[in-house]
Amino acid sequence: MAKRVAAVVKLQVPAGKATPAPPVGPALGQHGVNIMAFVKEFNERTAAQAGLIIPVEITVYEDRSFTFICKTPPAAVLLKKACGIETASGEPNRKKVAKIPLSKVREIAETKMQDLNANDIEAAMRMIMGTARSMGIEVVEG
Amino acid sequence: MEWLEIAVTTPGEWVEAVSNIFIELGTGGVAIEDPALFSLYLQGAEDEVALDPSSLPREPVVKAYLPVDENLDVRVATLKRRLFALAGEDVFNIRTRRVMEEDWARAWRDYYKPVPVGRRLVIKPAWEEYPALPGQVVIEMDPGMAFGSGTHPTTQLCLTLMEDILSGGEVVVDVGTGSGVLTIAAALLGARRVVAIDNDPVAVSAARDNVKLNRVQDKVEVLCNNLLDGVAITADVVVANIVADVIIRLIPQAVGILKPEGLFIASGIIRGRERDVVGALENHGFKIVDRRCRGEWYALVARGGCRP
Repeated sequence: MAKRVAAVVKLQVPAGKATPAPPVGPALGQHGVNIMAFVKEFNERTAAQAGLIIPVEITVYEDRSFTFICKTPPAAVLLKKACGIETASGEPNRKKVAKIPLSKVREIAETKMQDLNANDIEAAMRMIMGTARSMGIEVVEG
Repeated sequence: MEWLEIAVTTPGEWVEAVSNIFIELGTGGVAIEDPALFSLYLQGAEDEVALDPSSLPREPVVKAYLPVDENLDVRVATLKRRLFALAGEDVFNIRTRRVMEEDWARAWRDYYKPVPVGRRLVIKPAWEEYPALPGQVVIEMDPGMAFGSGTHPTTQLCLTLMEDILSGGEVVVDVGTGSGVLTIAAALLGARRVVAIDNDPVAVSAARDNVKLNRVQDKVEVLCNNLLDGVAITADVVVANIVADVIIRLIPQAVGILKPEGLFIASGIIRGRERDVVGALENHGFKIVDRRCRGEWYALVARGGCRP
């Protein structure tokens, strides 16, 4: 018999470095998940990606057991990496902090395609470009 | 410890940017309540869903937490400034509330029940009643914030292996003891002396409490130490329920303290890494004598390493 899903929790946490502190603790604790069990398993599965933030979707069942799926790093993280910047612009509409060629946007869209709710690569690219704009990253030809 | 929970309701297109602002503020991550995610679940999943769709937010909510300290006001002001620069003041709805660490650290206790492991062992939360059957060995646990409630497959693999291996009178060293569950099991299964080691002071204190709870303090010693650095002891059994990379680093040290025919129980090894650990063990002269798997997790028993 299929187990009944009691909650679905989505987190973005550092690969290999999750701790029982917030946001993991409160997000999982309120659903009765054994926090340390998740932390241990997540860190072990993502150890190879240390340094990146990883989105993870956790399915909690009524008996409080859980499973989780790790996704590709967030678009914001991939954009910063591609541009070689540490932080996004504090005033994205007025102050641009980096430029990214369209070809790189396409690369990121291809990486993220499996996780985005997009019908085709063009739609995925539009989503990535939207995130780039919101961070003060200018998309240029090339 | 007290934290400020900050929940930002945002249109879907800004979720990534809002999450990024939180992470740049040093929140160590975010939690996202995304109605789109739930509706995907409600549509397609083979699992039956006990979620009430009306309990879900209409727009995504990004949540993060900041410690309540002298920097809090500055960080909240930075957050607001960056959010408003992103899309104006009307786009986001920001709610805050203070939460205590105890609130979530204790929530899962309601679901932690006595669990039988192997043939004779029972792990019992300290606050639960459990009438033991004849022959059962009951381990009382209050894991607090340390690893090892006894419910995780890696712990259960170790417990069943120790149940098979220990016949009484052994000297056991438990590296990465966490809550102390394996140390207590060893003591209750007849080991003569158990040395428990962890490099996390939170774990050491939890382990000491649990050792007392089980009244095995006479034969157990709990040390705050980095693996076996500087530990001089001769052991019949070394047990390590950690993770593959740390176990690989531990192997040469384990060789140094094990008797010639001593056993090394290694657990916490995720599928895909067992070959690396087996390779490292064999390089140090160990022979694999048992190998068990539960779900994605492997545990190995190796005998007789030799000093290089």
